[in-house]
Amino acid sequence: MKSAPNPPRWADRMLNVICPPDRLEEVQGDLHEEFAYQIERIGERRARWRYIWDVLGFVKSPPVARRHGAYSTTNLMNPTMLQNYLKIAFRNLVKNKTFSGVNILGLALGMACSLLIMLWVQDELSIDAFHANKQQLYRIYMREYFSGKVQGVIWTPGPLADELKKSIPEIQLSTPYEWVSDQTFSVGSKVNKQATNAASADFFKMFSYKLLQGTAEAALKDRNSLAISRSMAESFFGSPEAAIGKTIRFDNRKDLLITAVFENIAKNSTLTFDCLRNWDEFVEDNGWAKGWDSTDPLTFFMIRPDADPAKVEAKIKHLLDKFNRDGNKPVHTELAMQPFHEYYLNSNFKNAQIDGGRIEYVRLFTMVAVFILLIACINFMNLATARSGKRAKEVGVRKVVGAMRSLLIGQFVGEAMLLTVFSIFLAILFVALLLPSFNSLTDKQIGLPVNDLSFWGILAGLTLLTGLLAGSYPAFFLSALNPIRVLKGAMKVDTKSTWLRQGLVVFQFALSIILIVGMIIIYRQVEYVQTKNLGYDRENLVYFPLEGDLVKNYDVLKEQISQISSIKHVSHMTASPASNGSGTEGITWTGSDPNGKVRFTPVGVGYDFVKTMNLSVADGRDFSKAYPTDSTGFLINEAALKVIGYKNPIGKIINWGNGKGAIIGVLKDFHFQSLHTSIRPLIAYLSTDSRRQGGNVIVRIEGGKTKEALAKLEALCKKMNPKFPFTYSFTDQEYARQYQSEQVVSKLSNYFAFLAIFISCLGLFGLATFTAEQRTKEIGVRKVLGASVSSIVGLLSQDFLKLVAIAILVASPIAWWAMNQWLQGFAYKIDIEWWMFVVAGILSVAIALLTVSFQSIKAALMNPVKSLRAE
Amino acid sequence: MKRASLGEFEEVVLLTVAVLEVQGQAYGVAITHEIIEETGRSVRLNQIHAALQRLEDKGMVKSEMGEPTAERGGRRKRLFTVTAYGRRTLQEIQDVRASLWTRLVSPFKLSTSL
Repeated sequence: MKSAPNPPRWADRMLNVICPPDRLEEVQGDLHEEFAYQIERIGERRARWRYIWDVLGFVKSPPVARRHGAYSTTNLMNPTMLQNYLKIAFRNLVKNKTFSGVNILGLALGMACSLLIMLWVQDELSIDAFHANKQQLYRIYMREYFSGKVQGVIWTPGPLADELKKSIPEIQLSTPYEWVSDQTFSVGSKVNKQATNAASADFFKMFSYKLLQGTAEAALKDRNSLAISRSMAESFFGSPEAAIGKTIRFDNRKDLLITAVFENIAKNSTLTFDCLRNWDEFVEDNGWAKGWDSTDPLTFFMIRPDADPAKVEAKIKHLLDKFNRDGNKPVHTELAMQPFHEYYLNSNFKNAQIDGGRIEYVRLFTMVAVFILLIACINFMNLATARSGKRAKEVGVRKVVGAMRSLLIGQFVGEAMLLTVFSIFLAILFVALLLPSFNSLTDKQIGLPVNDLSFWGILAGLTLLTGLLAGSYPAFFLSALNPIRVLKGAMKVDTKSTWLRQGLVVFQFALSIILIVGMIIIYRQVEYVQTKNLGYDRENLVYFPLEGDLVKNYDVLKEQISQISSIKHVSHMTASPASNGSGTEGITWTGSDPNGKVRFTPVGVGYDFVKTMNLSVADGRDFSKAYPTDSTGFLINEAALKVIGYKNPIGKIINWGNGKGAIIGVLKDFHFQSLHTSIRPLIAYLSTDSRRQGGNVIVRIEGGKTKEALAKLEALCKKMNPKFPFTYSFTDQEYARQYQSEQVVSKLSNYFAFLAIFISCLGLFGLATFTAEQRTKEIGVRKVLGASVSSIVGLLSQDFLKLVAIAILVASPIAWWAMNQWLQGFAYKIDIEWWMFVVAGILSVAIALLTVSFQSIKAALMNPVKSLRAE
Repeated sequence: MKRASLGEFEEVVLLTVAVLEVQGQAYGVAITHEIIEETGRSVRLNQIHAALQRLEDKGMVKSEMGEPTAERGGRRKRLFTVTAYGRRTLQEIQDVRASLWTRLVSPFKLSTSL
């Protein structure tokens, strides 16, 4: 015989709880019979819902015991008792407005902060997670061994992607991925610059970018194909449908065929571009990308679904050994791989192993969120235990009447929950108000995910957690009171709870002080970065791309620009002044280590480069037209000289690949990359007619004449290069852009520190109010006996100040350690100085004093006659 | 009509009990189904249970547990029967309504007068 389906067990259990025992049989019997009937009628699935619905009916109005007073349900579900609990809770809330306000505001701020951070963390974790094949996608990085050291490099040789696919069967697809650069496209008379990149034909098969037109197969298949974004299609052709199959002129040199249109790339992707060129077509223009000695593009690949990543990693490790990476001997470079969706958050190297990155900020902020929430919870605990005297009688009565301890605990935790529920609504309101400014600060597009069930789950979880955290200690504390002692009369404040309270206050302030110190140090570091002397002058330095007709007519252009009165110097370089990430390893010299490789940063420069950048020459001179031999000469920086090790470098020969040239000058070190990295060896060659590729024209403008100079530059470029729009960049702005994440962290740390100290002070305010209340009589007596107001304020404040002082002592070493860790991420950094701790200490003491004294003064000014009237 | 008599819903439940008790079928589920069928209202089990409880408190019905049956997982039904007081109450309500109906000057016609 087939057993009949049973209704949901949990609903039955619920019934057991709410139903008096002598009614259970009939009620449950009826329910089960109804269930069986409904299965016949509407099927099992709907019958289950129906059953739950019916049970809920009984929950709403529970059956009454048949014999009155026969059974009293002693559980929290008892509606009468619940009503009583709620009533008491509400009365307490309304009666103590200060305490409720302090708690609700504190908890709401804490939770709002946690929510914001949670949303931010969720957003950070979602980046690059949308690719359908993300489990199979990897990125390559290299470990380069040279002169006993090892360094991690993310740039890889151009031909590597193809080689991976050829030589390793587990690798299904692969693509190089160049750096995004602004290129000029035109259709008829419409001209625009677009963020352009290059990738292989596999790109759209690997990554889930939605194609509106064209297929992933054909998107970049042919050499002259181009995949463009929806917005680019709209701006040139009006719509994606109209764009497909059309040609578009690239760089005024080639016609490319549009073979795919993809949806505009969302913020949750690290790879962003307006259009993608085919890799082979890119190599046509950039011959160096053919060579194994180049290291420029990133390389991504996708393994077969059944392949074992560990085996693939073992196979690729020595892949580069068979290639001559500089013409005469193998370079010792190992390859390693990293899951693609992890690289956004984990991009830093330590000893050539992936180690941290943005993930550290994610962790840091998560910790801060927990801390701030904890501070708010501590407020609740402290105030609840401090006020335990007020509730003691109630607890006594309840116990005498026969409440079990578990019930009392439930009651007080429930009260905390109630408060937390109020707070969470307030917190959601705060978050909704703050999100726009938070988004603009962090450059994100986070919305309140109200349609997302998991968000409400998180809210409920947060409420529960906070309620438990805040409510559990007071609940245990209060429920443990001895009813006989309480009801007899005087409740002594026992020292144990005082100790604990003081400990918690110290903890709160220690956290706040750590955050304040952090705020100071982060602010100083960011300021340092902004104002550091970089070795060149980044003010009034404008650069614009050398492109189109300007390349061949550069000399004329330079001549013309020199005649503009508001412009001091002009030159050009193959990179941009503030960030130059290219590298070469084909450089050797007399006595260079045959097995060791040094990555030099190459840069092609024009005449007057040193003057224009305002660099200092340590030895030798800048390139000069007076010496024709300079065309094969090199400028190096001090870092390069250190590596090369020549005593008298000027005139010595350096080999680069198969060519060679003499050193004509040594430049003082300057920062051509961000301050996160130390200055690399730099080698500059003269980029003249025959060797000139694109790059940037750099222009030194006279201070205060920027507008005028730019207008003249624009007119000139329009005349000489009509096919291209004139775009320019300010070096100082580009430089500042490299520290965007530090800027954000700096601002956020200010807010968090402020919030932490604010919530701590809220709690302190509550406690001060409480002690002032408690000691009203004492203050009265003291005043009658002639104590001055100031001495009383001192008396009341000193207890708290002691705690803050201890907190400073506790927090300082921790803050020092933590900030030291953070500063390790910079090659050039400030020193942590003792005054920072003093400032943080003074600040916190002052704020605490302000908070406490407000209440103390109020208490000290009370009329003793009034406060002593009772006796 | 005297006070503290029956609510409209209670009256329907009580009538249903009176109808079903003959077959010994006057218990929660059966009463619920009967009322749904007769009146077309969407009634929930708990409402019936509460109404029966109130009727019993008022002394309109009495109840006892029936025999255990397999279909309810071996649980017994509580079978209700209408008491003499209950019957009289129903009768009184009926009488009051009948006398009111007879005093209608022109009984409603179920036609449209044009």
